[in-house]
Amino acid sequence: MQANGSVGRLMQALRCLPGVGPKSAQRMAYYLLLRNRDGARVLAESLLAAVDRVGYCERCRSLSETALCAVCASPSRDQSQLCVVEMPTDVYAIDQAGCYRGVFFVLNGRLSPLDGIGPVELGLDRLEQRLAGGEIKEVVLATNTTVEGEATAHYLGEMAQRHHIRTTRIAYGVPMGGELEFVDGATLSLAFNGRREF
Amino acid sequence: MQASHPHRIQLQPGYVLHRRPYRETSLLVDVFSREYGKVGLLAKGVRGGKTARVDSLPPFRPLLLSWTGKGELPLLTGVESAAPSPPLQGVALYCGFYLNELLQAFLHRHDPQPLLFERYAGLLADLPVTGDKDRLLRAFELTLLQELGYGLQLHCDAEHHRDIQPGQSYHYVPDRGPIAARADAGSIRGITLIALREGRLDDAATRREAKWLLRRVIHHHLAGRPLKSRELFRQKSHESS
Ligand SMILES: [Zn+2]
Repeated sequence: MQANGSVGRLMQALRCLPGVGPKSAQRMAYYLLLRNRDGARVLAESLLAAVDRVGYCERCRSLSETALCAVCASPSRDQSQLCVVEMPTDVYAIDQAGCYRGVFFVLNGRLSPLDGIGPVELGLDRLEQRLAGGEIKEVVLATNTTVEGEATAHYLGEMAQRHHIRTTRIAYGVPMGGELEFVDGATLSLAFNGRREF
Repeated sequence: MQASHPHRIQLQPGYVLHRRPYRETSLLVDVFSREYGKVGLLAKGVRGGKTARVDSLPPFRPLLLSWTGKGELPLLTGVESAAPSPPLQGVALYCGFYLNELLQAFLHRHDPQPLLFERYAGLLADLPVTGDKDRLLRAFELTLLQELGYGLQLHCDAEHHRDIQPGQSYHYVPDRGPIAARADAGSIRGITLIALREGRLDDAATRREAKWLLRRVIHHHLAGRPLKSRELFRQKSHESS
């Protein structure tokens, strides 16, 4: 059937979600309207509230409802250790792993000259100001291991060294529970080069 | 088989110049292939997903690419590594981006450039080990301009067709060539033009002039389109591009 009016608009709106095509949008719209109107109301209100209230933390540029996010505002985090990541989802992943007690800086991207993204577009002046502030004692580079992530890490490393700040890069290697046979050559050679006493 | 499917390309040597996301899980990939020049390909289902994926289409790695279909967007059907990625790090990696940006800006689709391909492959292999990135980059820029029909005139002046004199200064006019002139801020020494043509850039002044000349000529042919990767070099004194 031809869906127009509010139903059609809902289907069209749902398609802004990643991976949602016309078929799934239709299924979702009908589910919400036929089976779960309360859920639909909560969803609509939460979306509105989130979009209205959530912005970026003014220190780390992670998503936050307050001027300072929970990590930046926490007295129990080590404010002298700064981990630089590409995306807010990386902050979440690292925090879930529970292995890091410092604070973050989110680039919301990476240096990618062929896409027109250079140091200015990434807002690296903000990071530079932070490094110049003198509070940071170590910069942990946790950008992706793509060529763009590596170039970004190198650029940030040069920046940190200009401010005489210790710079580290997260280690790469064989994934836990992984079988060597299925690990690609580049990862294997990095894992070998980075081997440790056992 | 091959004859009845003229648009099925198998295991073509090539490099990824650039890729960008397309729909949810696909990529649009610009590759520089040995026999077909720059080709835009659709790589389906190569990104996203629940588990971390290993990138099978990294820039700079020698690849063997298979694709099918002609028209605007052929479909990538296979990719294999021909060799490991060259260990490009730091400034060498910046240079790699600069090369890709140059090629992306200058190459026309489906215009084979076998000599340029060979030089590009050689340069990617040399960049991690060379102590003289400047000389290699200038040589590549010269070849690129030459092969695409914008070759520099480095043998004689454009006005009187006299041999370039080492002690003379010139103004280089893009699309024309060097014109003998009084030495000033915009002039280049004959000795630099000769050094450039002979592929030896021994002292700092010659390097600086050669870089400046090529930058101006490239800028002219790009009609104002900026090369973003140059910004990466700005942080350090050792500018190469
Ligand atoms: Zn924060």
